Amino acid sequence: MPTKKIEDTRQASPEPKTQFVNGTKSSAAAVAAQPDRKGSLPPAGKNPAGIPDWRLERLPFRIENDWVDGEYHYKVIGDTNAPAPPMRPSKYLSKEQSIEILRYMIVNRQMEAALESMYKQSLVIGGLYLSLGQEASSVASAYALGKDDWLGPMIRNQGSMVVKGFRPRDTMMQYMGKGASPTKGRDSGSHYGDVKSLNVIAPISHLGDSISILAGVALGARLQGKNIAGIGYIGDGGQSTGPTYEGFNFAAVQRLGVILFVEHNSWAYSTPSELQFACKDLADRAIGYGVPGVIIDGTDANQVYDATHEAVARAHRGEGASIIEAKLMRMKGHAMHDSALYVPAGVKEYWKRRDPIARMEEYMKETGWMTENQIAGMHAEVQRFIDEERAIAIAAPMPPPEEAGTDVYFDNSVEIPVKYGEVRVKQANKNRQLAESSAPGHYK
Amino acid sequence: MAAVTYLEAIRQGIWEEMERDSRVFVLGEDVGIYGGAFKVTEGFVHKFGVERVVDTPISEMAIASAAYGASLTGLRPVGEFQFMDFISSAHSQIVQILAKSNWRWGAPAPLVLRGPSGGGVSGGPFHSQNPEMFYVHTPGLKVIAPATARDAKGLMKAAIRDNNPVLFFEHKFLYRRVKEELPKEDYTVEIGKARVHREGHSISVITYGAMVYVAQEAAEILAKEGVELEIIDLRTLLPLDRDAIRQTVEKTNRAIVLHEDTKTGGIAGEIAAIINEEAFDFLDAPIVRITAMDAPVPFSPPLEKAFLPQVKDVVREARTLMQY
Repeated sequence: MPTKKIEDTRQASPEPKTQFVNGTKSSAAAVAAQPDRKGSLPPAGKNPAGIPDWRLERLPFRIENDWVDGEYHYKVIGDTNAPAPPMRPSKYLSKEQSIEILRYMIVNRQMEAALESMYKQSLVIGGLYLSLGQEASSVASAYALGKDDWLGPMIRNQGSMVVKGFRPRDTMMQYMGKGASPTKGRDSGSHYGDVKSLNVIAPISHLGDSISILAGVALGARLQGKNIAGIGYIGDGGQSTGPTYEGFNFAAVQRLGVILFVEHNSWAYSTPSELQFACKDLADRAIGYGVPGVIIDGTDANQVYDATHEAVARAHRGEGASIIEAKLMRMKGHAMHDSALYVPAGVKEYWKRRDPIARMEEYMKETGWMTENQIAGMHAEVQRFIDEERAIAIAAPMPPPEEAGTDVYFDNSVEIPVKYGEVRVKQANKNRQLAESSAPGHYK
Repeated sequence: MAAVTYLEAIRQGIWEEMERDSRVFVLGEDVGIYGGAFKVTEGFVHKFGVERVVDTPISEMAIASAAYGASLTGLRPVGEFQFMDFISSAHSQIVQILAKSNWRWGAPAPLVLRGPSGGGVSGGPFHSQNPEMFYVHTPGLKVIAPATARDAKGLMKAAIRDNNPVLFFEHKFLYRRVKEELPKEDYTVEIGKARVHREGHSISVITYGAMVYVAQEAAEILAKEGVELEIIDLRTLLPLDRDAIRQTVEKTNRAIVLHEDTKTGGIAGEIAAIINEEAFDFLDAPIVRITAMDAPVPFSPPLEKAFLPQVKDVVREARTLMQY
C-alpha cells in the first residue's frame, strides 16, 4: 500500500518555541538576584486538609443568597477591602523568562481587547469568551511545558495556546469563521489544536473531556518510552462533571503525567462556586484521587509557574498526576453578552487590585528587571504586533461552501506516524502461541 | 485446518494484528490476567505485556477517551466494552470527540471500540441491546456487525488497519454457536461491502448479525414451497453497501429487512429509504420490516422470545409477499 507522510494542507502552523524548557535553564545568579523576601514573606502553609497552600492570603468573603424586596440576589458575606499582597519570588524563573511571561500575558490581554473591539464591530460571529484576570493562570502554567508535553486548553485559555506556539491571528480567525482558521472555519473560539508539532488538544464544548484524552496521550507516549506532562485546565464549574472525575481517576491510578489545573475563577457562568461543591478547597480532592495537590494564588504568575514546573517535573520522572488549584476571578461575564450583573458589589474591586499583569509589572520593577519605560515599550510593541495579527485575520477569506462536509473520514492510504518512538514493553513472552480460549464466560 | 468459532476468529484477528504491528494495543475492563469477560483476550497479556493489554478502572468514557488520546500519538488502540450496552456511558465522548476529530481539527483517530451486543441469552435489558443505530447516525464513525467467523476475523483486521474510529459490534449469541474454517493466510474483509449469504430469486432478505441464521432457517422451510430467499448479510452498517441493496432488489423485486434491533429508528427504515432511492422501479411489493418490538429487551425467556424476531415471522411475511 502506498504511504506518504500526512500533509498539512492548511496554513502551516509555526514551529514550537523551545525556550520554555521548564525553567531549568535559569541561572542560579538570576534566581538569586530576586528580592530576598524570606524574612518578610510568610512561608507556604497547609490548608485544614493538609494540602500545601502557597497563598499569602485567604479569601476573606463568601457569596450567599439574599432575599431583598421580593427578589433573590447574591450578597457578599465578609470583607472585600483587603489590599493585594506582594507576589512570591519564583524559585526557578530567570529574568529573561520572567520578561517573556509578562510579554505573553500582555499579548493575551491585548489580543482579547482586540477581539472585544472586533466583536463590537460585528466582525466576530457568535459568542466571545474572554479571560480577563486569568492571564497569569493561562500563560505561566503553559510556559512550564516542554516541547514534547501537551496542552489541554478550554475555551478561556487562548493565552496558553499562544505560549504553546499558536498566534493571535489563529484565535481571531476562529472567532470570525475564516477558512484559514486552524479548523477551516468548522469550529469557533479556542476549539482548535494541533497533533503534529504543537501538541494541543482541541477542546469541545462539553467540560472535562480533555482530561481523559490527555491521560490517553500520556499512556500512548509512555508505551513509546516517554513520560510526558499534559496540562488539563478545568474550572470550578467544569470540575463537577463525570468526565473530569473519570478521566483524572484513570490518570491517577495509571500514574500518567496529567496535571489537573483547576482555574477556580469563582463563577461558572452565573453560578458561584459556593453552589458547585461542598469541600473547602478543590485541591482537597487530591487526597481522594491519591495524588499531590497544591493551592496557589492564580493571579501570581510566579506561583502559577512554580507549581506547574514542579508538577511537570514529577510527570517527567514518571511519578504521575497532580492537582493544582489556582484561586482567581473571572473578571468579565461568561461571554460578551453577559455583563455578570449577578456578581455583588465589592467582589470585582477586590480582584481588580490583584490584576495579574499589574502585579507582575510591579514585581519586575521591584526586582529591577524592568523599568517603567521598558514596560511601556513592551505594551507598545505588543500593540503593534496585535494590530498586525488583527489585520491579517480580518483580511483572510471565508471558507468555500463545498468544504462543509469534506474530511469526515481520514484517507486510509496515508500512514499515520508514531509520535515518540517504537513501542517498548518490559516483560512479554514473544514466543507464546495463541491457544483456544477456555470455558465460556458469562453466557454460552 | 479445523473450524474455529466466531469468538476464536475475533481472538485470532486481534492477536495477529498485535503481532504484526506493535502500535496495536488493547485496553478495557478485566482484559489482562482474566482475559476478558468472554475470554476474547485470554493469554494476550502474557504474550504482549501489561503495557499493551491494559486493565482500566470501570469507566467506559475513560476507555473511549484514553483510546482516542493514545491514537493521537500514532498508536492503534482496541478498546473493549465488556457489554456493548455500556457504550451509552461513553456516548458523549464517541459522538462529540471521536467522530468529529478529523473533520474538526485534522486529527485522525485510528482506533477500534469493540464488544458483545445482542440478545437471545436471557441477558436482560442491560446485557442484550443492539445500540448500533446511535452510531450509524453519527458521521465520522464506521460501524461493523459481522455474522460469520470468517468475517469476524477479516473485518476485525480491517478495522484495526482503518485510520478512522470503528465500532465493532460482535454478537454474543454467535460467539460459540458459529464455526467456520478460516483461510490460513493473512486476509481482511473490506469494510462497507455486504455479502450474499444465500442466493435466491423470490425475495431479498437484507439482514445482519444473528438474524442471518434466522433468515437461513426460514429459507430452508420456504425452499420446500418453491420460494427461494436471497439473504444479504450487510456486515457493515456504516457505510452501508447501497450497491448490494440495489442489486438484490433489482433481482428479486421483493424486500424484507430483518434485524434484531427495535423497529423505530432501526436500520430497516434507512434501508427502505435507500431502496426507494435506488430501486423503486424494481419493486413489486411494499418493503417489509421484521424487527424486535419497540420496548426494552426483557429478561424472562418467554418474554424475550416474544420480543425477538422469530423464524415463523419471516416465513409468514415471505408467504404474504409472494401473494403480490
